[in-house]
Amino acid sequence: MVKELIKTKNLKLWFTDNYVLHDLDFTVYEKKITALIGPSGCGKSTLLRSFNRMNDLIPECKIEGEILLEGQNIYDSKADVTDVRTKIGMVFQRPNPFPKTIYNNVAYGLQIRGEKRKSVLDDVVEKSLRDAWIWDEVKDRLHTSALSLSGGQQQRMCIARALANQPKVLLLDEPTSALDPKSTAKIEELCIDLKDKVTILIVTHNIAQAGRISDYTTFMYLGDIIEFGETKRVFTVPKDKRTEDYLTGVFG
Amino acid sequence: MKLTKVILALVAILAIAMFVGCNNQNQEQTGSTLEGKITMSGSTTVLPIAQACAEEFMNQNPKVNISVRGGGSSIGIKDIMAGTVEIGNASRDAKGKEINKAKESGIDLYQNVVANDGIAIIVNPKNTITNLTLEQIQAIYTGKYTNWNELGGPDMNIVLISRDTSSGTYEVFYEIAMKKQNIVQNCIMVASNNAAVTSVKDTPGAISYAGLGYLSSSVKPVQVNGVDPTMANVLSGKYAVARKLNMYTNGAPQGITKTFIDFILSDEGQKIVEKQGFIKVK
Amino acid sequence: MKVFKEILFKAVTYFAAIFSILALFGIILTLFMEGIPMFQEVSLREFLFSSAWYPTNEHQSFGALALFFGSLAVTIGALVIAVPIGLGTAVYISEIAGSRTKEIIKPMIELLAGIPSVVYGLFGMAFLAPFLIRNIGIDSGLNIFTASIVLGIMIIPIISSMSEDALSTVPRALREASYGLGATRWETITRVVIPSAKTGIIGSFVLGFGRAIGETMVVIMVAGGAAQIPSSVFDPVRPLTTSIAVEMAETVLGSIHFHSLFALAIMLFIITFITNLFTELFLFKKVK
Repeated sequence: MVKELIKTKNLKLWFTDNYVLHDLDFTVYEKKITALIGPSGCGKSTLLRSFNRMNDLIPECKIEGEILLEGQNIYDSKADVTDVRTKIGMVFQRPNPFPKTIYNNVAYGLQIRGEKRKSVLDDVVEKSLRDAWIWDEVKDRLHTSALSLSGGQQQRMCIARALANQPKVLLLDEPTSALDPKSTAKIEELCIDLKDKVTILIVTHNIAQAGRISDYTTFMYLGDIIEFGETKRVFTVPKDKRTEDYLTGVFG
Repeated sequence: MKLTKVILALVAILAIAMFVGCNNQNQEQTGSTLEGKITMSGSTTVLPIAQACAEEFMNQNPKVNISVRGGGSSIGIKDIMAGTVEIGNASRDAKGKEINKAKESGIDLYQNVVANDGIAIIVNPKNTITNLTLEQIQAIYTGKYTNWNELGGPDMNIVLISRDTSSGTYEVFYEIAMKKQNIVQNCIMVASNNAAVTSVKDTPGAISYAGLGYLSSSVKPVQVNGVDPTMANVLSGKYAVARKLNMYTNGAPQGITKTFIDFILSDEGQKIVEKQGFIKVK
Repeated sequence: MKVFKEILFKAVTYFAAIFSILALFGIILTLFMEGIPMFQEVSLREFLFSSAWYPTNEHQSFGALALFFGSLAVTIGALVIAVPIGLGTAVYISEIAGSRTKEIIKPMIELLAGIPSVVYGLFGMAFLAPFLIRNIGIDSGLNIFTASIVLGIMIIPIISSMSEDALSTVPRALREASYGLGATRWETITRVVIPSAKTGIIGSFVLGFGRAIGETMVVIMVAGGAAQIPSSVFDPVRPLTTSIAVEMAETVLGSIHFHSLFALAIMLFIITFITNLFTELFLFKKVK
């Protein structure tokens, strides 16, 4: 039985006068991987960034409508944005480790919430790095700079960093676009592995990737959600002509 | 293009101005037929007077050549005795020893007082002190007194302000008021007479000193040994923190040297003396 | 012809590049040639460890220790004031201010940098010193405290504009990573943005230090000029630059006093040299 974790209601978004997200109603199911696909500029990244209120950082951005996380509107005036971002973690297109040690990168989320007990931090750092499949590679050099890791390792460390907050949802914004195929494959497998622990919403340009790892697929085009459904169904019998054209490479 | 024109115009104006200026000078200079050479050396305190007067004198008498060197008062007197200069500058009177030594070598050290140098001790107008003895001033500046109430004044810390050690005014104060005792190290040093006056004006507990020409109503000069620091008292020799600035010659000055010293003592020359921050002879 | 032009071009740029190196060596050579002769008459021990600076008195002494402490005191004081304010300004401009506010504040701070130091000195002497006497009950306004404030204000633009440059080059991705982990703006700035811009920020402090320790006019006007080792921030001091500038005007060419002023300049040069060296080493190590 799948459970609805996030629901958007009449979500509209503008950048100044540019109408980017057109009245979207959208559902994310718990402990599933949902892929957001669509051509460049369709609004999929913007939609993704709406879920952890990352668009708040852009002064020109205006949002209407609701995003409900377990029934609570994260855009409610009483909602705590740092709390939202703790519950809904994010991994970005390019690995963005802080210029700190691996340990301090992963412990960052806990540290800013005032966790000082070394045993707690140690445990969480280890568990998160294990969950992100990178523990064995870094366990002997936790206190060296994260910048010394390879790109793929950095990205898995960024996943570990997000996991350390024990989020309900992980937003992945084209997480493998800057990586080589081997690192990409590893992250894809990792996503499938993580599905038991956390709900994943992934934006990808790579249609095959969406096909390989996601349970649900959403096809967006010019600010609208054209099609949403189980990945298998969307990929085999798309209801909309535009979805079919995109999947078969007519445009994109 | 426009800029070029402006520059050309400026150059033209400058050229005309210089030409006119030169003409004026030539007219002035043609009047004098005086010829000769004067050399002098000695006190760096007298140096600015000597230099300024020499420049003006040479301006009026283009065929006269005056060269001025420093070296200190002792050098000035020594050079006169050695006969290497016509004028020896000294910011003090010749000592008995020097006069005797000169006599032995057949030289008559002749004192020409060309200016007076006097400095006033100043305090903030709020300070009730009106008179200090020289000994008290020395005690203050060597750090023996630190509060005005030790001298019968208000209960206020004394803030010592001095001119910087390189100034001529410091030299007078150090030599005449302090009798060459070192000023205590926490004394504030300022770079000009004006800075001294301004600092005293702004600082209730301050004491400083400045040339007589720099006094203003914003600071209060105190009596030294009961004598007011006035021009008259300096001239009469009653005021203690003052000295004569001398140009020594071998015997009474003669010839072109006499003309030059007379020029310094004339109204015109004495105006230059005042301009340099010193006190007139008469 | 073409070859000749190539060679000429090379030669011209080469000499342009080598000019500043020549100037540097020329200055160092002059300093040492004019400074060293002092040590024929004054021992290095007296110069470095005595605080009695009486260059023109009957019994001359050339102890530079008090002058060294004077320079150090006003410079550290200036940094204590300028570092938090300069860095705060940089953070405000780079991280917090809206673009319109930025447009107003930035040129204003640049204007502050353009004010000649003698004007700062006048401000300190004519306004700040009497103001402090009236309002905090000190005996004199010419002291370390006043000099530090004036010097501090003077180096704020250096610190703030250079730090701001450093802050603004911190990638947006790092800020997003921090916000994305639930950090507030304050946490993001203090824990991610500033540490990431550390090299440039420390560089700005060093530049400010160099500017403050080398500043002459301001300290002549407001530091008090007393050659003593200070025991309080309200003591007057005489920085190295004050002695060099004020005393050079009246000293006799070639005298010990003359040479001693060059020795002070050597001291100043060595202080800034060591500071730069340490910064290089420190930053280099951290970057590596």
